[in-house]
Amino acid sequence: MSDAVPLTTDSSGQVATVTPPARGRSRRLSDRKLAVAFITPALLLLLAMSVFPLLWALYLSFTDYSATRGGSAGFVWFENYIAVLTSAQVHLRALTTLIYVVGAVALQTVLGFTIAYLISRRTHGRGLLTTLFLVPMMLSPVVVGLFWRFMLDAQFGVVNSMLGSLGLEQVEWLTRQRTALASLIVVDTWQWTPFIMLIALAGLTAVPRYLYEAASIDRASEWFKFRTITLPLVWPLLLIAVLFRSIEAFRLFDLVYILTSGGPGVSTETLSFHVYKVAFLGFNTGTASAYGILMVVVVIVLTQLYLRYLNKLKED
Amino acid sequence: MAVSVNEAVPAGPVRDRTPPARRVAGGRGRSVLEVVLLAVLAVVMLFPVLWMIETSIKENRDVYAVPAKFIDFQVTLAHYRDVFVAPGGGRSALSVAFLNSVLVAGVSTVLATLLGVPAAWAYSRFTLKAKKDQLFFILSTRFMPPVVVVIPIFLMYRTAGLIDTPLGLILIYTAFNLPFTIWMMKGFVDEVPPEYEEAAMLDGHTRLQAFRKYTLPLLVPGIAATAVFALIFSWNEFVFAVFLTSSDSVRTAPPAIAGLIGGTTVDWGLVAASSVVFALPVLLFAYLVRKHLVAGVTLGAVRR
Amino acid sequence: MTACGGSEDGAGQGSAPKAPATIPELTKDPLTLSFVWFAWPPAQALEKFANEEYRKVRPNATIKVNTVPNANWHDAMFTQFAARKTDFDIAILDSQHIGEAVTNGNILDLTDFVKNNIDVNAYDPYLLAAYGQFPQAETGRRDENASLYGLPLLGDTWTMIYRKDLIGDQAPQTWDEMISAAQKCQTDHPGVSGLAFHQANGSDAAAVTYNTVNGVYGGNLWDAKAKKIEGVLNDAAGQEAMDVLVNRMKPLTAKGSGNWFIDEVNAAVAQGKACIAFNWIAASGGLLDPKQSTLGKSREEILGKLGFATLPKQKTDLVPLGGMGMHVSAYSAAANQAEALNFMKWFEQADIQKKWAAAGGVPSRTDAIQSPEFLNAGPFNKVYADSVPRMRDMWNVPQYARLVDIENTGVNAALNGAKKPGDALDDIAREQQAVLDASGRKGGGGL
Repeated sequence: MSDAVPLTTDSSGQVATVTPPARGRSRRLSDRKLAVAFITPALLLLLAMSVFPLLWALYLSFTDYSATRGGSAGFVWFENYIAVLTSAQVHLRALTTLIYVVGAVALQTVLGFTIAYLISRRTHGRGLLTTLFLVPMMLSPVVVGLFWRFMLDAQFGVVNSMLGSLGLEQVEWLTRQRTALASLIVVDTWQWTPFIMLIALAGLTAVPRYLYEAASIDRASEWFKFRTITLPLVWPLLLIAVLFRSIEAFRLFDLVYILTSGGPGVSTETLSFHVYKVAFLGFNTGTASAYGILMVVVVIVLTQLYLRYLNKLKED
Repeated sequence: MAVSVNEAVPAGPVRDRTPPARRVAGGRGRSVLEVVLLAVLAVVMLFPVLWMIETSIKENRDVYAVPAKFIDFQVTLAHYRDVFVAPGGGRSALSVAFLNSVLVAGVSTVLATLLGVPAAWAYSRFTLKAKKDQLFFILSTRFMPPVVVVIPIFLMYRTAGLIDTPLGLILIYTAFNLPFTIWMMKGFVDEVPPEYEEAAMLDGHTRLQAFRKYTLPLLVPGIAATAVFALIFSWNEFVFAVFLTSSDSVRTAPPAIAGLIGGTTVDWGLVAASSVVFALPVLLFAYLVRKHLVAGVTLGAVRR
Repeated sequence: MTACGGSEDGAGQGSAPKAPATIPELTKDPLTLSFVWFAWPPAQALEKFANEEYRKVRPNATIKVNTVPNANWHDAMFTQFAARKTDFDIAILDSQHIGEAVTNGNILDLTDFVKNNIDVNAYDPYLLAAYGQFPQAETGRRDENASLYGLPLLGDTWTMIYRKDLIGDQAPQTWDEMISAAQKCQTDHPGVSGLAFHQANGSDAAAVTYNTVNGVYGGNLWDAKAKKIEGVLNDAAGQEAMDVLVNRMKPLTAKGSGNWFIDEVNAAVAQGKACIAFNWIAASGGLLDPKQSTLGKSREEILGKLGFATLPKQKTDLVPLGGMGMHVSAYSAAANQAEALNFMKWFEQADIQKKWAAAGGVPSRTDAIQSPEFLNAGPFNKVYADSVPRMRDMWNVPQYARLVDIENTGVNAALNGAKKPGDALDDIAREQQAVLDASGRKGGGGL
């Protein structure tokens, strides 16, 4: 595996030391060589660190291998896959994950776009505002999870304390089925709204000014301008942001691990969290690999479909 | 700073110019409403951060106070001292973890850039076989849930002796950052007209020299923006860190901070102080390259 | 090191490599003896104590206690075991982890070593068995023919912590009395809840709580011989215990306490928000720290308000066995294994155990438990001494991590209204039984 390391240093060293080849006739050849030299190290590292593990996981997913028990891996064909696909436990986690992904991504898209829109309409302090709004995104999920757990604590948390000052009832944020999942969605939204905002802002600032000016001449209403100019131009970019967030949210693990550890009961256990339990509590490596491969397949298939839809949208 | 976002993006729509609609009667009311809404959103988004900073300078007794103390508390810097100094004197485990984070995140970001930028340039400039497939393949390596990858990586590292080593973390973080770096940087390279290089080559430079002398300098802002995102990932990463390392001398900060809870009492002041200290380097770096962040995302994302 | 393979079901003999019967010659070079534990005060206490005292006999040795987050403790140790390479020489395993480690051949068989080097009669037999023996002993006994894989490091059990100023100096003697005292206290003192105990779904939090109530109401966790959980755990006594826990105890806890574990319970006590609380003794030291407490400005003032007592009895008097033993990694270097054995022999001596007690540790040797050094070191230490004959442990089988997770999530669901108590217990029993039954099955395990 570590083969990739010396190779990469070699070639990046090469960048500086390569002797200039003769001009003209050998240029085309050196272009190709250059391309290969530039791309190979990156691809090798990806092959070693991403593809190879994936293939290994693929192999393990057909076996009953356990990382702790050792011994040889017995081939069980599709038994792991069948077990995962037919398990009611897995279906339950899939539903939880679906609710979470849809809820969180929808919420942060609306909020992120709103903030970006409002910022884009300001003339002063935009840079400062943008930078401030970005802070949550820069924090580690560990820090975010820990701190929200502290703030959402029913007894000592600042959120309930403020509700109390307003004369409202305390809420059990993390220990009731519905509120716990909602809290997870809220915290994820808090952290990742800035990401959507950043992309939306990029889209908004790129809308050509003359379009607005032309619309103004026609005395078009703000809403009309928003609906016919802003939204259609930002929409494709926003959809990309949604794709990225959905993939990330689908894989969510650390926030659950720290904020609720899946509770109450198993009601906030996502698919990733469940894979973790299969992989590390019982060390059922084979089953966990099949489980993980299925998750990757789901992501790739959905992404392809989504990208195809996006391309069609662009062509229209 | 006010104009930085505009600078970064070509053809900003409303630069230094009040939108005409604002002059229409009723536009002012709407504008006020927008400012109020933005302010409310800013307060909601920033309150947790402020609360974290406040908690980090409170005495532990005030941390749990109900109703919460917003201003009337004793200020203490003891938690910040505890972040760096062990109870018995000497370096604290947290400060060692911070240094490990600097090493692991720093090196993996640099490596991802060193490997990713040339690859992005090559993908942008040359016609290659099945380029689109290669690019999607590169991107799709990021789709895997870390919890899944960690099992084969673990088995692999077991053979290679990379478990519980900084090198192990550096390699996996580099590999996770590469796809993103390549995609985002390809966007930036596409923006630089190839004619620059062609012209330089007519002047007698090789392709490589042309890249180094003419294209690379123009890519610096993009590299900075890309590096921030790579840094954010490797700086904050938790799953690989917690499963692939175990000793205090190798562990990075996220698992170390997570280890502050689950003992017998939670020192929330210390958790907050270490979170603040831990967040500062990334925030600082992000602030320094703030101009290029929006542009980076545009270029990176538009082309995906 | 010929530890791979291993018997699959782990019920019978393990495949752990044997430690030498006598300690091999020790190295004269500098050597670091590494432990792994989770991050909590006893870990720091151990490192400090061992470096101060052990270096007196072995000046070239340095003790390092690596710590991991509590939630990650089992995973961190067993992923290293899986790697067949550990950065620790002595694993501090929970008593129920032994089965998994032995079955996989991860720790040394200490039977011969113990025979030659340790005075087994100095211990309560069940303590020796709980932290070392596999297969698991019957509650309260030790099987002298069974193998030993570890030696006690830190004993522990639950203590009842009660507010003397709110419910009186006299600790409740039965579970019923305890519940009504909590009820009365909660009614009389608005803002203070009657009870505080572990309810979280991580680690073994909610599971230990249920097991404790199950114990005092005469229930059983399983029939160890027949490997039967279904129908045993959820029999009439088990259901009554679940009913008491969810319908009589839970309503007396603070709102939103459904994810509380050690530190939250401590915080509630320190903030004066609980009349009666239950916590591990080894985790209770912080309660006497005036810096963390609102109950008083000095240790004495706090002790004027807080009482520590053994758990009330009801139908039976069982209390949960906590604490951990020391186990030698099968993958550490020979010199380190020798040093580890030497350390353990040293640590289990009477005078060292007393010093460990004075340094904040909880010993297992009877003479140390009864020593004034221990009994005077903390107000809860007498609780431990009195609890020793009453202890019961969970299942010590290779599937422990999954069994405890099933019970944790199930009990946590019942406590937080996500499941009806009766259904939750039936589900736990059924799922746990499935895990025990499936140990030989191929493919699809672990879901």
